[in-house]
Amino acid sequence: MNETELIDRARQGDGAAWEILMRAHQEAAYRLAYLLLGDAAQAEDVAQEAFVRAYQALQRFDPARPFRPWLLSIAANLARNQLRAFGRYLAAIRRLVQAESSPVESVEGRAAQSWEAQTLWQAVRQLDFADQQVIYYRYFLDLPVEETAQALNVAEGTVKSRLHRAMNRLRTVIEQHYPSLQEGREA
Amino acid sequence: MTEQPINDLERGLIAAGRAFSYPATPDIARAVTRRLGAHPARRPTRSPARRLAWALVVVIVLLAGLLAVPPVRAQILEFLQIGVIHIFLTQPTPTATIPPASTPESVVIASPAISKISPTPVRTATETTPSATPRPSPTPIASLLDLTGETTLAKALDSASFPILLPAYPPDLGLPEQVFLQDMQGQALVLVWLDPADPLRIRLSLHQYVGKDNLTGLKYSPPVVQETSVNGRPAVWTEGPYLLKLTNGDYELVRLIEGHVLIWAQDDITYRLESDLPLAEAVRIAESLQPLPTPTP
Repeated sequence: MNETELIDRARQGDGAAWEILMRAHQEAAYRLAYLLLGDAAQAEDVAQEAFVRAYQALQRFDPARPFRPWLLSIAANLARNQLRAFGRYLAAIRRLVQAESSPVESVEGRAAQSWEAQTLWQAVRQLDFADQQVIYYRYFLDLPVEETAQALNVAEGTVKSRLHRAMNRLRTVIEQHYPSLQEGREA
Repeated sequence: MTEQPINDLERGLIAAGRAFSYPATPDIARAVTRRLGAHPARRPTRSPARRLAWALVVVIVLLAGLLAVPPVRAQILEFLQIGVIHIFLTQPTPTATIPPASTPESVVIASPAISKISPTPVRTATETTPSATPRPSPTPIASLLDLTGETTLAKALDSASFPILLPAYPPDLGLPEQVFLQDMQGQALVLVWLDPADPLRIRLSLHQYVGKDNLTGLKYSPPVVQETSVNGRPAVWTEGPYLLKLTNGDYELVRLIEGHVLIWAQDDITYRLESDLPLAEAVRIAESLQPLPTPTP
């Protein structure tokens, strides 16, 4: 049974079909939420809520469209709302963490590749939400441009321009706050 | 990805995406299935009794917006009146400042989504929060878009027992996308503007209420409560996230309020504006309310 059929069945009230859909996409929804929120418990809640919202809106969803970008857009919106609510706290905590621990200190005991991934993520997290989104879709969740465009509800060309701008801003962040990443790549 | 990386940074990001150490994905499908019910059937058409019950819950939610709490300076709040609404408050739970994770009350979330899907009477917070580990309040606010009494602005203008006012500010706001009119011992109107860039998100909602109900048994702990004024009249400003627990005897609803809420009363109508805007903007919107010149079809 393909995804369109599953969606169609879920719309008819087929719980098994809906569960298959959830299992197929729960990892992507959870990972996106985790990347955006940086907290496993909040990510789990956001991913759950995204599926609940998706289920509630399923009657209005066009089954001809791919499900994943739609679901991810819901999860991203929920995460954004979450960040807005707690934005002040997060910003304060982030500044604190950034001030108290340099990336170099966290190198010890970690594999270089994992360290770079985590540190790069920390750098991405300094960007605004829209920049983070496009980077996560493309590079962390490995979505093609087409799906990224659908998840962001923009044209494919816009994805590329947004990505370009986000990368420029990320480069600036790395230069200013994560020089060790730069050195790692230059080495 | 089909495109080739064009520089080191892109290569680094692709490698980071592959090497990234995510926490193990929990069994979200199972949890959601449980939340939606063992067999998540298509949303059933509500029976009149159920619709009535839900409308009652909605009215309670609206009443929640009529709260005005002085800054958390008193340990026991006894009674509060805003507009025509009498509200009794129990002792507020301790108010946390930062971080939210330290606020156990904010953890005690009876999922609004559950309430929305199945507005079961007397749903207590403790019944719905099995987690033993305190966590920040995670559950987003229940959508307003599932209210009963959906109508059009034109019909609402015809049938409302009070003049419907709309914000003239901000200029790009336009007419509400969603209009709900409840008639439960007085009328309650909910106007909803959606985010143009994101139809799943509510840009702001304006609640207008006329009624004589009493609401009892309410607890909440907003992180921010501030007295202010709208058109020179007393008003209250609250910022989420905070927990509302509401009951009118038969029904109890726990709802997480995430947004910013401005509450004021004027001409026997109590208004509640919920948004994510700052106080000054909300007051500006509140003070821009004016009657609609002509009914809009």
